[in-house]
Amino acid sequence: MKSLLHIGSRAVPFFSGVWVLVSAGLAFAVGAADPVKIDLWSLTPLVRPAVPAVAARSPIDAFINARLAAEGLRPAPEADRRTLVRRVWFDLVGLPPRPEDVEAFVADKDPRAYERLVERLLESPQYGERWARHWLDVVHFGETHGYDKDQPRPNAWPYRDYVVRAFNQDRPYARFIQEQVAGDVLFAGTRDGIEALGFIAAGPWDLIGHAEVPESKIDGQVARHLDRDDMVATTLQTFNSLTVQCAQCHNHKFDPITQEDYYSLQAVFAAVDRTDRKYDPDPEVGRRRAVLEDRRRTLDQRRQVITGHIVDRAGTALKDVERDLAAAEKAAKDGEAFGYHSLIEARADTVKWVQIDLGRPVPLARVVLHPCRDDFNGIGEGFGFPVRYRVEVSDDVGFVSGVGVIADRTEADVPNPRLQAQVIDGAGRTAQFVRVTATRLAPRMNDHILALAELEVFDTHGTNVARGAAVTALDSTEAPLRWQKRNLTDGWYPGISVGEVGGVAELRRRRDGILTASTLPDEMMARDESDRGVAEVAERLAKLPPQSVAYIGAVHSGSGAFAGTGSRGGRPRTIHILDRGSVQKPGREVGPGSVQSVGILPARFELGSDAPEGERRAALARWLSDADNPLTWRSIVNRVWQYHFGRGLVETPNDFGHMGGRPSHPELLDWLAVEFRDGGQSFKRLHRQILLSAAYRRTAAGDPAAERVDADNRWLWRQNRRKLEAEAVRDAVLCVAGRLDGQMGGPSFRDFVIDKPEHSPHYEYHLHDPEDPRSHRRSIYRFIVRSQQQPFMTSLDCADPSMQVGRRNESVSPLQALTLLNNALMLSMSRHWAERLESVPGGLDGQIEHAGREALGRSFTGAERAALVDYARAFGLPNTCRVIFNLNEFTFVD
Amino acid sequence: MSPMSPFHRPGQASGPVSRREFLWRSGGGLGGIALAGLLGSEGLLGSEPGRLVPGRAHFRPKAKRVIQLFMAGAASHLDLFDYKPQLVKRDGQKSDFGEHVEAFQDGLGPWMKPVWEFRPYGNCGKQLGEVVADLGTVADELAFIHNVVGKTGIHSQATYLQATGFQLPGFPGMGCWVGYGLGSLNENLPAFVVLPDHRGFASNGPKNWDAAFLPQQHAGTIMYPGRENPITDLFPGRAGDYITPSSETATHALLERLNRDHAGTREGDARLDARIRSYELAARMQLAAPEALDIGHEPGHILDLYGIDRSTRTWPAEINAAEEIDAFGRKCLVARRLIERGVRFVQIWSGNDNGFPRRNWDSHEDVRRDHGPLARGFARGASALIRDLRQRGLLDDTVILWTTEFGRMPSSQGGKGRDHNPYVFTNWLCGGGIQGGVTCGESDEWGYKPLDRNRPTTVYDIHATVLHLLGIDHEKVTFRHNGIDRRLTDVHGSVIPGVLEAIR
Repeated sequence: MKSLLHIGSRAVPFFSGVWVLVSAGLAFAVGAADPVKIDLWSLTPLVRPAVPAVAARSPIDAFINARLAAEGLRPAPEADRRTLVRRVWFDLVGLPPRPEDVEAFVADKDPRAYERLVERLLESPQYGERWARHWLDVVHFGETHGYDKDQPRPNAWPYRDYVVRAFNQDRPYARFIQEQVAGDVLFAGTRDGIEALGFIAAGPWDLIGHAEVPESKIDGQVARHLDRDDMVATTLQTFNSLTVQCAQCHNHKFDPITQEDYYSLQAVFAAVDRTDRKYDPDPEVGRRRAVLEDRRRTLDQRRQVITGHIVDRAGTALKDVERDLAAAEKAAKDGEAFGYHSLIEARADTVKWVQIDLGRPVPLARVVLHPCRDDFNGIGEGFGFPVRYRVEVSDDVGFVSGVGVIADRTEADVPNPRLQAQVIDGAGRTAQFVRVTATRLAPRMNDHILALAELEVFDTHGTNVARGAAVTALDSTEAPLRWQKRNLTDGWYPGISVGEVGGVAELRRRRDGILTASTLPDEMMARDESDRGVAEVAERLAKLPPQSVAYIGAVHSGSGAFAGTGSRGGRPRTIHILDRGSVQKPGREVGPGSVQSVGILPARFELGSDAPEGERRAALARWLSDADNPLTWRSIVNRVWQYHFGRGLVETPNDFGHMGGRPSHPELLDWLAVEFRDGGQSFKRLHRQILLSAAYRRTAAGDPAAERVDADNRWLWRQNRRKLEAEAVRDAVLCVAGRLDGQMGGPSFRDFVIDKPEHSPHYEYHLHDPEDPRSHRRSIYRFIVRSQQQPFMTSLDCADPSMQVGRRNESVSPLQALTLLNNALMLSMSRHWAERLESVPGGLDGQIEHAGREALGRSFTGAERAALVDYARAFGLPNTCRVIFNLNEFTFVD
Repeated sequence: MSPMSPFHRPGQASGPVSRREFLWRSGGGLGGIALAGLLGSEGLLGSEPGRLVPGRAHFRPKAKRVIQLFMAGAASHLDLFDYKPQLVKRDGQKSDFGEHVEAFQDGLGPWMKPVWEFRPYGNCGKQLGEVVADLGTVADELAFIHNVVGKTGIHSQATYLQATGFQLPGFPGMGCWVGYGLGSLNENLPAFVVLPDHRGFASNGPKNWDAAFLPQQHAGTIMYPGRENPITDLFPGRAGDYITPSSETATHALLERLNRDHAGTREGDARLDARIRSYELAARMQLAAPEALDIGHEPGHILDLYGIDRSTRTWPAEINAAEEIDAFGRKCLVARRLIERGVRFVQIWSGNDNGFPRRNWDSHEDVRRDHGPLARGFARGASALIRDLRQRGLLDDTVILWTTEFGRMPSSQGGKGRDHNPYVFTNWLCGGGIQGGVTCGESDEWGYKPLDRNRPTTVYDIHATVLHLLGIDHEKVTFRHNGIDRRLTDVHGSVIPGVLEAIR
C-alpha cells in the first residue's frame, strides 16, 4: 500500500514569502477591524517593466532568456515543423491538423510560414469555439440548475454563443468584462448586452430553495444568500483572481478583503436573480419594437387623460360600480378561491359538517352544491366531494331541534359527480340555516377530507340568498385565498363563466351606461382615434420577428415563493453584514461596492438611494475594467499564458492572494499585462505575441542536464508536453473519423435521454445512440448537466460545472483507459474511421500510413507500420483504429 | 454469471459469451504489472498546488475501511431508533413546541406516536422500532447518536452536507477524501465504490460522490451488480461487435508496445508510463470487478442471512418489503465482497430522489407505507452485513456509518406522515474502534431538538470521528483549491469520544 497523506498545516508556506503570511495572519485574524493594506504582490500598481537587454527573438524571450541565463540554463531548440503545426492547431482551434495542412506547412519555404499559420488559425471561427470553452470553465457555465430536481435550462446557450462570438470578434477585454457584468446598462439595445449577462447566471441554482421556500423563511434566505455568494465569487474570481468568498463569515484570513467588502459586493447583485429574459437579437428589430411600444405608451397616456376627464365627471357613482365590478371579476376569474376544505382525517368515516346562516328564515326552493376542482394528487374535478352525506335545514343554529332532512345520501356511496352541480329540492321548507354533513369523507392521498366549492340556496323568487352568507363548520383548513370557509358563498365555483359571477354582466352594463352618459362627443372621437392607433401598433408589433429568450442574471418577476424583485420595480434587497455568515444574525446594512484594498480605485459606489439596480452592476463593471485595477490585467494575461504553456506564470489562476502562487516571471507578467491593456486589449494580439516567441516554439523533449537544475521547467527552458482536454480528445476522434459536424451555435446537442422529466430528470447517457449525427458536433455545443455529468467527458477530467475551474486536473486512471477503450462513441467512431480508410489506395499499408497522418500528423515508422498492418490483417481496421485512438501519442501534444 | 442463474434479474441484457472467461483469457497474460498504487496516487499528476507531502497516518488506525449506509429522503429517527414515550402518551394531542417552528411544509399537526412498537434489544437494552427488529440481533455492536443536527431542511443541501460536508455542490464526497488521504488497498478495484439505489440516484445524483477539485481518480465509482456492464464502459458494448477475446489480448499487447516506443523517446515524462500502466490496471479491473460482484458462489446460508431472494420472480410495481430486503441485501453482500478485496470505502444508498409515488424515505404522507418496506430492507441487510463481517473478523477494522439527510418531526402533518426535522436526527456507527451498545447524545423528550441544545453533534463531528478511526487527523488532510486549503470538515468538527472503544 502506498500511503499519501497531505499535511495541510497553514504554518507551512507554499512559497517563499513567509513574512507575508505571518503579517497577513496578524492583520486579518477573525473579527479584526480595519485591515490595513498590506504588501500583496498582485495589488501593486502596474508599471511597464524595462525589457532586459539580452539577445532574444521577442520581448517575451528577453524576459525568459534573462532568467534562464541567471539559472544557468540553456533554452531547448525549436521544435520541428510537424510538431509545431500539431501544437498550434490544438492550442488555437482544439482540433488536429489535416494531413494536407501538415504537409503544406512542412513544405512551406516562406520564412513567414509559421506567422501565416498562426494568423490563419486565429481567423478561423473554430478559434472562438476553442477559447470560449476555456472561459466557460472559469465561469462554471452549465445548462441545468444542479442540486435536487436538476431541471434543464433550455435558454442558457445564448451566453455560450456570445462567448464564442466575442473571442472570434476579438472583443476588447474591458468591453468583454462590462458586457458580462452590466451589458444591459452599458450597451443597452445590443444583443451582446443581454446575452453576455448569462455570465451572472452561469453557476448552479437551488430550485427548491427558491421555488418552494419563500424569502420569509430561514432556508429561503439561506438559498438566496448562497445564490448571491455564487455571483460575487464568480465575478471576483473570474476577473480579479480574488477569493472574496472567504470573507463571508469574517474578514479574509490571508488577503486584504474585509467582510464589509464581501457584503458590498453582495449588494451589487442584490436585485438580480437567475431568470429567463426576452430580447430581440436583432438590434434593429429591438429599436422598432421600442418605438412601437413608446407609441403605445403615448396613446395609452392620451387615453388615460381623456378617461380621467370622463371619470371625474362620472363621480362616485362610477367609483362604486367599478369597485363592485373589480371585486366580482377578480373572484370570478382568478379561480383561486377554490372553496371550503375541512381538516384532513386519517379515517374516511369521520363525520364533518359545514353550514350557512341565511340571516333570517327563508322559504327554500332549492339548494345547490357545487364540487371543487384541485389537481392535488391528480384528483381534479370533484375534489373532496363527500362519498356519503346529507343536507339538512333548521332554524336552530345547533341543528338540535326542528331539523328537516332535504337530502339523505348516507346509505350508500355516491359516485363522484365531477363538476356536476347537485340540485336538491327545498321541499317547501322555510329555514335560516342549511347544513351539509358528510358521513363518509372523500379520499385525498391516503387520507380523507370534505371540500365544497359553493353552496347556493335559491328562494322562491329564484334569487341565491346564500351569496355572502356566513359560514361555520366543525373545522376548516383556512388557507386563503384558495381554501377558506367564506369561499363557500363567494359566488365562484369551477365551471362558472366570468359574466355570470356575482352579477358581473349587470355591473358591466351599469358601468358602461355611466361612462357613456359622462362622455363628451369630442372625447369620444379622440378616444376612438387612440384605440385605432393602439390596434395598429399591436398589429405591427405582432408582425415583428418573435423575441428570443436567454437565461441571464436580471431582475426576476415571479409569483409564489420565487418572486424576485420585479414586483418592487427591481429595488435591490437590503444587504446586511452577516455575523459568522448567518442570515439569522444580520448586522449593519451595506451599500454596493467592492474590495477596498485595490486602493487606487474608490470601492464604495456612491449611488443615489433611488438609483436603478443596474447602476450598481455598471459601477462594478467599471471598477473591474478600470485600467488602474492591477488584478484585472494580470489575471487575464496569466490565464491566456497558461492555456499556451499548460501552466500559468502564476500557477493559481483563480487566486492571486497569499494562499495562491507567486509569479515565476513577475516582470514578464506585468509587461504582458501592460502591453495587453494599452495595446487594444486584443486577445488575438496577445496570442500572436506568445505564439511567435521562441519560448513557445521550443521542443518539449527532456534534457537530463537541464532537468537537474529545473525538473519542473519553471524557467521555461523547454515547452511543456500537454495532455489533451476531454473536449479536444472527443473533437479529434470525431474529426479523424470524418464525422465531425462543424455547425456553429444554437441550442446544445444532448447526448443523453431524459427519464422522468416531469419531476426529477434522470439524465441517462447510456441510452444515447452514438450514431445520432446531431451529437457529432463539437464538444463546446454539448448540453452540460450538473447533477449527472457526462461519464466519458468526466473521466477525461472535463471541467465540473458546479465549481470554477481555473485549471483542470489532469489525471490518469484505469477508468479513463476503460472509457477510451469501450465507450460507445469510441467504438462507433473507430468503425466509421475504418470505413473511410478502406477507400484509401495502397492496401493495408497505404491505409495504415494514412491513418497515422490523420491521427498523429506523421507517418508511422517501419516497425510501427509492420506491427499495425499485422494486427489489422488479423483483427480488421475497426480494431486498428481503436488502437490508434488509444495511443498515448493521440492524447498528448509535444 | 449465466442468464439462467437465479441471480440474474429479468430485464437485464446479457452477452452471448461468458465475460469472465473472455477476460481470463484476454487479460490473464498481462503479468508483471507495476503496482504503483496508481488508483490512489498523486505523485505523478499535476494538479492544483496543494501541499502534497507524502506522509503516514497521523495516529494508529483502528479501521481500514468504511461502509456508509445512506437513507435518501430523510429517515425518521422517531419511528426507528429514538424512542419517545412522551409521544406515545400525547399521541393525537395538539402539538406544542414551546417556540416558533419553521417547518418545510408547515406540517405541524398533533403529536404522533411512533408508527411501530418499540422493544428493548441486546444486553444493552436498546429500544428499537419493530420495523428494524433485525438490527436487534446486533444491538450490542451499535453506537447511537441521537443529537445530530443539520443546517437545512432542503433535501439537496442536506444530502450534500452529509455526503460532502458542504451544503452546496462542488465538494468531494467523504469517500473521495478517504481515498485521497489513505490511498488504495488494492490495485484491481477503485478505492471508493458507490452502490446506488436500484431505482436511481438520490438528490444531487453523482455529485454526492464525485471528486470535485480532487483528482478524478478519487471519485466514487458506481457499480451496478448484475448488469452486463457493472461499471460504465468496463466492457465494450454492442457498438464494439468487432472486438473478440483474441483481438483484445492483441490490442493490449500492441498498445503497450507502441506506447513504450513513444515513451522511450520522451524520457522523464512519468505521465506516459502512468498511462501505459493504467491500461494494464484497466484489464485487471475487468477481471476483478465482475468477480467481486458475483455472488453466485456464495453459499446458501449466506444468501439466506442477507435475505436474498433466489427465485426469478418479478416484483410488483408498488414498494414492498420483500423486494427491499432482496435489493438492499444484495448490496450489503457485495459491499462485504468489495471490502474483502481491498476497497476502502463503500457507500450504499437506500431510496431514490423525491417524487411520486414515494420512492424514498420522504414520508410526508404516510410513514408506515414508505418507511415500512425501506426499513425492513435496510435493517435485514445491515444486520446481516454486521454479523457476516463479525464472523469473518472483518468487523474489527471496518467502520459502518448509518446516516440520512435529516430527521422527521414528532408531530404529524395532519395525516400519517411527518415533515422534515433538520433540528435533530440520528446516526449510528459500528465496527472498528467503535464501542457497541452505547447511546451518545440524546434528543429532547419529543425528539424535536437535542436534549442539550448547546452541545449537539454535527456532521463534521461524525466525519472527524470516522477519519479518526482510520488514523487520520481531519484537520490535516487538505487540498488547496482556489486559494483555500479545503478539508472534509470545513473549519469545524471534533471527534466524538463517547462512541470510541476504550483504549486497550
